[in-house]
Amino acid sequence: MNVLELKDVTKKYGEFVAVEGVCLEIEEGKILSLLGPSGCGKSTTLRMIAGFTTPNSGTVAIAGENVDHLKPYERNVGLLFQDYALFPHMTVEQNVAYGLRYRGTPKPMIPSRVQQMLSLVRMLGMEARYPSQLSGGQQQRVALARALATDPQIVLLDEPLSALDAKLRLELRIELKEILRSVGATTIVVTHDQEEALSLGDEVVVMHAGKVIQRGSPIEIYKAPADKFVAEFVGRSNWFCATRRGRSSGDLSSYITSNGIEIRTRSAPTDRRGSADLCIRPEHIELMDVTQGVVSDEPDQNLLEGVVVDVAPLGADVHVVVDLPGETRLQVIRKNVGRIPTVVPGQPVRLCFAASDVLVFPT
Amino acid sequence: MLSKRHTDAGLGVLLKATIALTAVFLLLPVVMTVIMSFDSRNYLGQFPPPSLSTQWFTKFAHNGYLWSGLRTSLLLATATTVGATTVGALAALAISRMTAQWRDPVTTAFLSPLVLPGVIIGFALLMAFSALSAVPTFLKMLAGHLLITVPFTIRMTLIGLAGISATLGEAALSLGANERQSFFTIILPLAKNSIAAGAIFAFAFSMDDLTISLFLSDFNTYPLPVALVGLMRSNFDLTLAAAAVFLMGLTVIILIVLDRIFGLERVIGHGIYKA
Ligand SMILES: Nc1ncnc2c1ncn2[C@@H]1O[C@H](COP(=O)(O)OP(=O)(O)O)[C@@H](O)[C@H]1O
Ligand SMILES: [Mg+2]
Repeated sequence: MNVLELKDVTKKYGEFVAVEGVCLEIEEGKILSLLGPSGCGKSTTLRMIAGFTTPNSGTVAIAGENVDHLKPYERNVGLLFQDYALFPHMTVEQNVAYGLRYRGTPKPMIPSRVQQMLSLVRMLGMEARYPSQLSGGQQQRVALARALATDPQIVLLDEPLSALDAKLRLELRIELKEILRSVGATTIVVTHDQEEALSLGDEVVVMHAGKVIQRGSPIEIYKAPADKFVAEFVGRSNWFCATRRGRSSGDLSSYITSNGIEIRTRSAPTDRRGSADLCIRPEHIELMDVTQGVVSDEPDQNLLEGVVVDVAPLGADVHVVVDLPGETRLQVIRKNVGRIPTVVPGQPVRLCFAASDVLVFPT
Repeated sequence: MLSKRHTDAGLGVLLKATIALTAVFLLLPVVMTVIMSFDSRNYLGQFPPPSLSTQWFTKFAHNGYLWSGLRTSLLLATATTVGATTVGALAALAISRMTAQWRDPVTTAFLSPLVLPGVIIGFALLMAFSALSAVPTFLKMLAGHLLITVPFTIRMTLIGLAGISATLGEAALSLGANERQSFFTIILPLAKNSIAAGAIFAFAFSMDDLTISLFLSDFNTYPLPVALVGLMRSNFDLTLAAAAVFLMGLTVIILIVLDRIFGLERVIGHGIYKA
């Protein structure tokens, strides 16, 4: 059953439409990532689910029941705020116990439930501390314990990791997922970080300018982005503006970029002679030395030649920038494993990528 | 190089001298008053007094006119503090929840008595109350004092509320507390110090006010400042100094008590700026 259901929800601030016609549903125990750039209406959507903001139109239902008329405290929704919103004048224990007190947990049961939650987030022994005496990561755990303590029907996390530094963020991301899974919480995670969204969510919903653009598994979002915006926002990408050439063989099409480079693609739009934005992921491009034998020109492969401009060895990956003739610049990412040919700036190279890896967005 | 260092040293000395002079300037009248109140002469002689006695305190203790004033002042200041703090805190809370377009004009309206001279407020109130002759004098003065202290308590509470992130109240709501519970468990405790600072200002303003009370008091009901001015006009002797020293002592005691309750440093120092 769907724990949460948003039907055609719209929120306007004056003339400005912050959220437009959003439909969402989420099954019990699933984690849904709500991904989109800053200002696209993610927080507004969460606030409407929590009851802090009233939609102009559309309905919000929790566990099949319309909650439009319910105040925030009449809904059982757990919230983790971006700034954690721990009560500064209360200890860790009092913070976690707060919701239990008001959601009607019998008084004698509260201390053991608090202990249980603190053990879940590995904060036992910190009961008497005040939030100001905790590190950012510890505050985040306490806030999570507080939000989960009352066993909410749905848990909303607003940019839960954005206030932490990069290393801690990765650690806590894994832990967060583990904790949410272990309590089986139905969760919406809001983030503008695609890596976070893809790694946390069973499903990802991409928002842009107040609208839902695409919904799918993390793999689908990456492999088959619905439009240019999603392709650009999720993952890295190289772009070509190209016009379709009349001729094509089988399900292959051929495009010519404005700089005269030919690119073969597999996915063919119905329109025969339109122009399109072509996208190729840096990690899908093979890099070869020009001296490396003669490569036969397979029809389902693209073979380009260029000159290395920059090489950035970033540990696991090597980022290489290559200039193609006619001022086209490509990013190439190679895994730093096995025997990868070393390239240096100024070196002429061959680039190879499959026609099926090229994403086509007709313009 | 050397001349720069000399300039620095010179400035340092100048700064210290300024601080010392300011301290003397601020404290000298107080010290003189304290010493004079123990003067053993029974006329107003030159400073310093040749010998000390407590005769002026005895006179003050037996001066029913001043005691009556003090009693009225304390009652008035207490009523003013309670009233102004409650009204101010509630008004500030209401203002802080308004949308931006209403907030500024309403704040300005509430704070406008601050820019009016006391004389004008006193006179205006006198005119207004002359139409309502049945109102007791004490209530008239209370109205006047509320008028000048409420802007302060509003201001102080607003400053305190501004330091409380809106997400704290929302967190409480999402955890099942209703608006009232979230106010009493989260907002009020966090704004406590600012509200207390406003209360102290209200008490001090009320105890100190002369201008408004002068217009609104009568022969039976008058606060201490009015009594002191009356005494000074009719019979200027050192009973005034004794009364002043007594008031100072009372203030110190009140501050010590407040310090025990809230931590004074926080109330009138950080308390205003930080929750
Ligand atoms: N209370 C408000 N009044 C006016 N505009 C708002 C309000 N809250 C949000 N907005 C606007 O709505 C848009 C979406 O905001 P938000 O949901 O916070 O975005 P996100 O969380 O995706 O960054 C933003 O352009 C923001 O300026
Ligand atoms: Mg946001």
